[in-house]
Amino acid sequence: MADYAALVQPDRVHSAVFTSEDIYKDELEKIFYRYWVYVAHESEIPRPGDYCTKWIGEKQLIVSRAADGSIGIFFNRCRHRGAAVCMDEYGNANFFRCPYHGWTYNSAGDLVGVPYPSRYGEGFDKSTLGLARVPRVDTSAGFIFASMAPDGPPLAEHLGKAAGFLADFVKASPLGTVSLSAGTSKSAFWGNWKFVGMDGYHTNFTHKTVLDLRQRKAGASYNRGAGNSDKSANESWDLGNGHCRLDLTGRDKVAIGAASNTSIAAGIPDNADGHEYMRLMSEAYGDGAHEVIRRSRDVHIHVWPNLQLIGSQVRVIRPLAAGHTEVMSYPAMLDGVPDSINTERIRSFEWFSGVASFGTPDDTEVFERNQIGLRADYIPWLVLARGLTVAPQEDGSTVGNVTDEVPQRAQMKAWLRSMTSPEVS
Amino acid sequence: MKDLELVGDVTDFLLLEAELADASAYDEWLALWDDPCTYWVPCNLDDYDPTKHVSIIYDDRARLEERCFRLTAGGAHSQEPRSKVCRVVGNIRVVNPHGEDDTVEATARTILVELRLGRKSVYAARVHYTLRRTPEGFKLRHKKVLLLDADEPLGNMTFLI
Repeated sequence: MADYAALVQPDRVHSAVFTSEDIYKDELEKIFYRYWVYVAHESEIPRPGDYCTKWIGEKQLIVSRAADGSIGIFFNRCRHRGAAVCMDEYGNANFFRCPYHGWTYNSAGDLVGVPYPSRYGEGFDKSTLGLARVPRVDTSAGFIFASMAPDGPPLAEHLGKAAGFLADFVKASPLGTVSLSAGTSKSAFWGNWKFVGMDGYHTNFTHKTVLDLRQRKAGASYNRGAGNSDKSANESWDLGNGHCRLDLTGRDKVAIGAASNTSIAAGIPDNADGHEYMRLMSEAYGDGAHEVIRRSRDVHIHVWPNLQLIGSQVRVIRPLAAGHTEVMSYPAMLDGVPDSINTERIRSFEWFSGVASFGTPDDTEVFERNQIGLRADYIPWLVLARGLTVAPQEDGSTVGNVTDEVPQRAQMKAWLRSMTSPEVS
Repeated sequence: MKDLELVGDVTDFLLLEAELADASAYDEWLALWDDPCTYWVPCNLDDYDPTKHVSIIYDDRARLEERCFRLTAGGAHSQEPRSKVCRVVGNIRVVNPHGEDDTVEATARTILVELRLGRKSVYAARVHYTLRRTPEGFKLRHKKVLLLDADEPLGNMTFLI
């Protein structure tokens, strides 16, 4: 195996980390098939019998809600001769029946039916032949995570400081819950999965046209690109365990204090539905409603290794090969709000995100160019040295200027730990 | 009795729209559209309600203008270099010669081959058009593109579909 410690230096990383198929396969084993990874959201399987199929790496899973309401995650593979027992992305069923020989499992994964069992003889024990179960499943703010390691730190410990941002994200709903009911924007690109990170340095260049469009709308008053420069009060954060975030509220910090309600309300429509939304939020959160909305809107976090929450969007990253990645994006709908509030979230999602939008296609174009460039590895190093001298704070977080490579270094640190640690730690 | 003259006029318009889209002639293409208008490429399922479900594209007139502006302003990396696109529009049928607001509704099939950075992609779609009659000829009121791949992971779709 590669000498990982030699590939990841404090201020640089070797191209092989992104281009080697051997390293990709080892990442699946050491990261995706071992640590906590995001799998699905509770709202995708609200009722008993609901299920959805998801992937961790190359393994397909059934995420199922059993009759007692508990969530089980099973490998989508008949215990008899291995055929996938479920082919639908979403559904509701009492049973999963294998098409090959009719073996049947209930929504708790138990093997409940085997045709013509007499030929198996005495000792045949159905109770040992349920669908293989992912050993550890836990949730945080409705987000379902799984770990294929039977033992290891609990989810709360893995999430650490990231958990607070998951909680903030769902609080834009007066009920404190969101639903991934608005469908899935599905995309794939020819580049490494680790390129989908938190980067505050690329905005003014990769998203030049987004700034053009904002300027076109706002006119001369638009302070173009100021929030994404080395002069900005915006920040990049290492939260520990590979989790990282951007704090893009810097420009508003002066405005946001006591008299900040107008700047928050600016994004909420000044119509009957907007007023109703604010009334519901005040009812739920009292005087803090504006702050709750601001915090939710400003969530811009990467939960290592495969989940991002950005404003109103849930984004899930799945590696397919060293140079091939799938990204599933979901606009998160707020429960308990007027319909038009959620419609606006969908329209705003489509503006920046998705394969034909004005934002993310330029990101994926860059990721594909990365993959081309990294193969020209005469000098193989990528430089991650911006803000290298920023020291960690007392609580373990590291906070840099928004353009600093604090998030990239945070992720490579977690990557190196996972790839070299003999146990889940 | 089929109104063959109407079918011919509709066909001419749809083929012109296809030619301009293939040529990335954004200004001329935009000039074919009505105001208001809707350019809709549903995501996941054909008939999801776009107010409750995400779309691949759901442009009103303002956003369509933004789309064309973005693609001509320079710096849209996902279209630099531009996609080379070659599409065939066939199976053209006028399904409603007398729609609301003096419109004609037509359906067609499109097979589209896109070439960019050495990679060729093939897309197929059923397309529903609503054309409004004006003294200057048809204006495109609605275009709904039902991609065969609407529920699959897609790559860069920033060319005109």
